[in-house]
Amino acid sequence: MNKVLKTLLGVWNTKTVVAIAIGAALFGVLMNFGGIPIYTNTRLTTAMIVPVIVGSMFGPVPAFIACFVGNTIADLIGGWGYWFDWSIGNGVLGFIIGLLPLYGAKINEGIFKPLHAVIYAITCVVGNAFAFGVITPLLTVAFYGGELTITFLQAFAGGIANTAVLVIIGIPILYALARRNARGRNLVMEEEKEE
Amino acid sequence: MENRLLINLIPGDTFLHRLTGKTKVRTFIILLVYIIMSFDIRLIMPLFILSIIGLVSLRPNWKKVKYFIIVITVVNLLNIVLFWLADPDIGSYWCGGGNTVLVSLTERLFLSAETLWYLSVRFIKMITSFMVSLVFILSITPSEMAAGLYSIKVPYKICTIFSIAFRYIPDIARDYNNIKVSLQTRGVELDPKKASLKSRLKQNALILVPLIITSFERVGNISNAMDLRGYGRGKTRTYYSEHEELKADKVFKAIYIILLLFCAYWIITQNIMPQDFRMWYPFV
Amino acid sequence: MSTPIVEFKNFGFRYKTQTSPTLHDINLTIHRGEKVLILGPSGSGKSTLANCINGLNPFSYDGVITGSCKVAGMETKNASIFALSKVVGTVLQDSDAQFVGLSVGEDIAFALENQGIPRKEMLPMVDQAARIVGMEDFLLHVPYDLSGGQKQKVALAGVMHGDVELLIFDEPLASLDPRMGMTAVELIDRIHRVQNKTILIIEHRLEDVLHRHVDRIVLMNEGRIVYDGEPDRLLASDLLTRHGIREPLYIMAMKYAGCELEPGQKLSDIHELDLSPFEEKLKKQHLAKVDKYVPKIGEEILKVENVTFAYGKDPVLKDVSFTIKRGEKVAFVGKNGAGKSTMAKLICGIERPREGRIMLNGADYTSLSIKEIAEKVGYVMQNPNQMLVKDMIKDEVELAMLLRGRSRKEIDEAVKKALKMCGLWPMRNWPVSAVSYGQKKRVTIASILVLQPDIIILDEPTAGQDFRHYTEIMEFLDELNREYGITIVFITHDMHLAIQYTDRAVVFAEGEVVADDSVYKVLSDDQVINRANLKQTSLYTLAMRLGIEPEAYIEHFINYERMVRDHGKPAAD
Repeated sequence: MNKVLKTLLGVWNTKTVVAIAIGAALFGVLMNFGGIPIYTNTRLTTAMIVPVIVGSMFGPVPAFIACFVGNTIADLIGGWGYWFDWSIGNGVLGFIIGLLPLYGAKINEGIFKPLHAVIYAITCVVGNAFAFGVITPLLTVAFYGGELTITFLQAFAGGIANTAVLVIIGIPILYALARRNARGRNLVMEEEKEE
Repeated sequence: MENRLLINLIPGDTFLHRLTGKTKVRTFIILLVYIIMSFDIRLIMPLFILSIIGLVSLRPNWKKVKYFIIVITVVNLLNIVLFWLADPDIGSYWCGGGNTVLVSLTERLFLSAETLWYLSVRFIKMITSFMVSLVFILSITPSEMAAGLYSIKVPYKICTIFSIAFRYIPDIARDYNNIKVSLQTRGVELDPKKASLKSRLKQNALILVPLIITSFERVGNISNAMDLRGYGRGKTRTYYSEHEELKADKVFKAIYIILLLFCAYWIITQNIMPQDFRMWYPFV
Repeated sequence: MSTPIVEFKNFGFRYKTQTSPTLHDINLTIHRGEKVLILGPSGSGKSTLANCINGLNPFSYDGVITGSCKVAGMETKNASIFALSKVVGTVLQDSDAQFVGLSVGEDIAFALENQGIPRKEMLPMVDQAARIVGMEDFLLHVPYDLSGGQKQKVALAGVMHGDVELLIFDEPLASLDPRMGMTAVELIDRIHRVQNKTILIIEHRLEDVLHRHVDRIVLMNEGRIVYDGEPDRLLASDLLTRHGIREPLYIMAMKYAGCELEPGQKLSDIHELDLSPFEEKLKKQHLAKVDKYVPKIGEEILKVENVTFAYGKDPVLKDVSFTIKRGEKVAFVGKNGAGKSTMAKLICGIERPREGRIMLNGADYTSLSIKEIAEKVGYVMQNPNQMLVKDMIKDEVELAMLLRGRSRKEIDEAVKKALKMCGLWPMRNWPVSAVSYGQKKRVTIASILVLQPDIIILDEPTAGQDFRHYTEIMEFLDELNREYGITIVFITHDMHLAIQYTDRAVVFAEGEVVADDSVYKVLSDDQVINRANLKQTSLYTLAMRLGIEPEAYIEHFINYERMVRDHGKPAAD
């Protein structure tokens, strides 16, 4: 149990702090440049890849923080106001999709197998359903009051877009990054491949 | 990119700018609570007016700010319209059951005075939330924000995340543009007019691998530079950007403490043990 | 002077991630008040050695230490990086990464913040440190407005607080233009003398460091110390070339002339060096017949006419005109912000001129898209990692063709050709991550060449590379030019590169072209040198001292050097 907690929390040395910060900055940049708006508070963005990467390196809690801080910063620099409900929702999603090390996918050691991809895809669906189907709508209603249907609708749109990006773009990227890291580790010249 | 940032990196010199990060962060958080808890125009309106005064007093770059104000107004108006479309009768629930129809388009689509009131309050609440955020962002620097968060007992490693993230956003944005340009010359099409949504997404994803790799490449160097200057050695730290409290800070302190007490009172009486869930509606 | 501050005894270090040690049998003592240069090619272990002193090894990079290393009496094995940081200040190579504050003042204060020093005490300390490096007027500046040299000064101020006795500079010249590099060397020297600090410089650019006196040079190769002693004796020996370090140009010139160099001749200082024993040989050498190098130059393929460009209101380029002919090798030189990178972007069509026009193969390029221009002009970025998007070398190289929807057959042919030109054909199925930096650079070049452009523009192709890798990359580019007639434009502030590998330099300063001429002419023109933040080469000084016209002398040297490079050194006479 202790070990699980450790994997969840990650090791908080300077490297972790910096990596989370860089992750948050990257999140902010992607949100502002790479986003394609689809609905009022929702954009089709590749930024959600960031918590996956941070999670794979340092665990879900760092992923949560990278995502939450990144989202906050994106809101602050994007100037579309500051929305706690969405930031927290995103953070929760970051936590869930950042669970990678818990099921053995270690991108920076080059480990990402088909089984990991399947589990990852499931966490994406579950994570989005939970974050935007439960957390964000509840917070929205609690913070700003109002119509649950609309909030759900908006959350639904956001959730679908996120899931799509996370699965369709995320899995190839995770494979690509894992491959890069795997080969980078032992630089043995593969003579037999030479023709 | 740093020109695109709304937040200033170097403190300005108006009254609000000169407050400490601690004062700004605490005031902002309490004001957010204040906005979130209330659905009452009598509470929101004064803050709305104050936030406008605050904004003007900061002497911001209006060109930049104007764009954001327009965007946020449009988005929220759209949101309001959607609310209305979803349930035109929503006001009667919140305003005591009345249903004074003003305009009726069809059987289902009508605008009642109550709904108009409800939607207006909601709109102003949203806009106020945005305005307060805007004033906060324009008045603070990332370092002050880190110091301010530290003052409310957020662990300093998390505060560092805020300031380091802001520090490297322009660098990463520059990388992003460089990578984009190099991919464009190789034939990647990012222009919405020339490529479909699907291919744009796919091409956007191409940027990600090099961007992720080059962004995280710097982690080692940055953390080394921080370790070499003793980062993380102590349980506490101080902030160069956080000057000593001035008279204005003390005045603000008194104000935000009173406000905090008021919020506590309001939440207990109105939100936790409400006598009446309805909002204040003067025309009952 | 005599008390040691750093003492290595039979020291060795192995990184946890590696199977064999990076450092072997290090025995080295550095005394208080000394100024030592640690010289060595990449991978020689010089940075590892520095990191063993400041505590990054093993604090940040886990590893196994054998033997002993004492810093100010502390055994580093047992000391924390924090304790060491009170005595040792380190200025890292990457000036952007180590600037962690959001303003100059904050960054200088960072170490003090971490110690929890109250702000009231912090302010005068920051002020004092800033004053030492001359940055006191910049305390409120953000990092994005500073030059590389200024950022480095800030980094230095940030590690100088308190009782720091030893300052380590890890490749301080890597990202600076020639003039800034000179200033940095002068600043380090001043800190050494005025502040009485012990100085350790890690570099492979010997000539630039020798701009100011160093007490001792430690030469490293393959994890061992191969020389430890005074600079003059090292310069007289053949150790430098043997271990992949570029000799200072004037030393090269003297060796070409067959001068017999001996320690004790003040060889490390071109101004003080007694030339009388060598004068005759040097002058004779200058008269030696060399093949005059004539580049194979064809018709005009790029013409820039009165181009003016601005991002906002202030023009970045003002009325710039020049032409480039087929087969030429041209260097764009000038300090950062002088407009050379913007010029490259304009040529590639990423930005378009406000005024004036750019002609490719005689036709105005206005109607062409970025994509179309890329088929005529290729742009290779400085950091190959910013360009590589695929895992396999072949996939990377074919991307541009694939995105243009060419037929499979056409793609395969073009890819094969590009890979063969770059010597990557045998590795085509290798993952990109498995190859060295230089090979990655080749992959990026191949991925541009696949479109068969007439011109390729390379942004700082050798940045951060040591002499051996530098030579490897440049020889390869030279070959592309020679064998395939590819026109090459270098954006660079490395004057060695410009001297040795280009035919012509277009010099930018404040958005204007201030010179467009052969490199040796540019480097003999004081006014141009000053405006463009360049620096006189030691050849210039040597020529002046010999009473030879510098322009002719530098030209002769370049031609001779090129001859030696292509055919080996002619038999000594």
